[in-house]
Amino acid sequence: MHILNSMNVEKLLNVVVRAGKILIESGAEIYRVEETMIRLCKSYSEVQIADSFVTGTGIMLSITVDGKTSTRIGRVRSKSVDLNVIDMVNSLSRRVSYDPISVDELEKEIDRIEGKERYSFWITLLFAGVGAAGFAIFFDGNIVDSVAAFLIGIIIRCVTTFFEKYRVNSFFTNAIASAIAVCCSIGSAYLCYGIDYNVVIISSIMLLVPGLAITNAIRDTVAGDYLSGLSRGTEATLTALAIAIGAGFMLSILL
Amino acid sequence: MIDLIIKAGISAFLASIGFGILFNIRGKRLILAGLTGAIGGILYKYFLFLGMSELVSNFVGALGLALFGEIFARVCKTPVTTFIVCALIPLVPGGGMYYTMLEVIQGDVQEALSKGLQTLSIAGVLALGILVVSTATQVYLRIKRALETYRLDDNFNNL
Repeated sequence: MHILNSMNVEKLLNVVVRAGKILIESGAEIYRVEETMIRLCKSYSEVQIADSFVTGTGIMLSITVDGKTSTRIGRVRSKSVDLNVIDMVNSLSRRVSYDPISVDELEKEIDRIEGKERYSFWITLLFAGVGAAGFAIFFDGNIVDSVAAFLIGIIIRCVTTFFEKYRVNSFFTNAIASAIAVCCSIGSAYLCYGIDYNVVIISSIMLLVPGLAITNAIRDTVAGDYLSGLSRGTEATLTALAIAIGAGFMLSILL
Repeated sequence: MIDLIIKAGISAFLASIGFGILFNIRGKRLILAGLTGAIGGILYKYFLFLGMSELVSNFVGALGLALFGEIFARVCKTPVTTFIVCALIPLVPGGGMYYTMLEVIQGDVQEALSKGLQTLSIAGVLALGILVVSTATQVYLRIKRALETYRLDDNFNNL
């Protein structure tokens, strides 16, 4: 079965690099991006060699068809975590490798995945609050603490969404958000008797913790991709530093 | 003790679900991600209750959640990160980070250093827990695959 001709090779490259871009933007591990792109290419039997090199900011992919090699480089920028998209691209690549589809259909599938909508803003707002309230109980707070954390969690989510919309860098976003968290927590302790502001501060800054960067750093390192592991690790450290600086700044003013 | 476990379980579940929504996990996977988080949280609190150190408890928590994350990932045919990312967050030493900063501001360098070191080692231990489980899974899967091909070859020879 011949699916690929010289026209299609270019298109295949473009589609696969797009799939890789979506994966990185959604926060996939780097080794998974490489594997998925190669799997997508290799599902076409005409592709003799497929190799990729991916970092957190760019993709290089080259495939050889009929002894002719084509290469494409992609630059990746914006980032917002979306584990659902990673799941869908991953299962698409597995499905295609068992049961090849034409390049046009592959493009349609990628379009469909890219067009999938996220939870609405209000739902993320609500669950940021629920998460923060959960943390307050987890860190041995009482009910009043968790109510305060719920409200402050919502405020933090608003702030980070606003900054993300205007593409403020993440270091600054985290520093400001944690400063606001500290300010609101200490304010709530003044307003309402019985609030332990330490617990409220901790549970609201937990919303900013770089959980994905930590996990990916570990998993990329395990997969033998030390470069990506190191860069993710640096991201995690810097984020933690930003949170600490923001919180420390506000604490030294207010205490 | 039971109430401690229930409290830890429910609160870690809620916290993980909250993060699951922020990371756009859908449907059944969202509940499983919350469950993974609850397992990590319960193990952590239970080992603290038994009088183990902060480090040991965190390590056991990370082991437990990584193990269940891998199992759920195989069952749902989903990347493991879907479950581990949200589940890990309750164990991340945000409190340690905060108290380190607090000591720095109050000018107690000794205390700040010791808190900071403890926070770093907790982060390291969490990483170690996940690392151990994912390495073990890789090795297990490779051995299983090798055994399967071996058996297949065997059968072909018998035919």
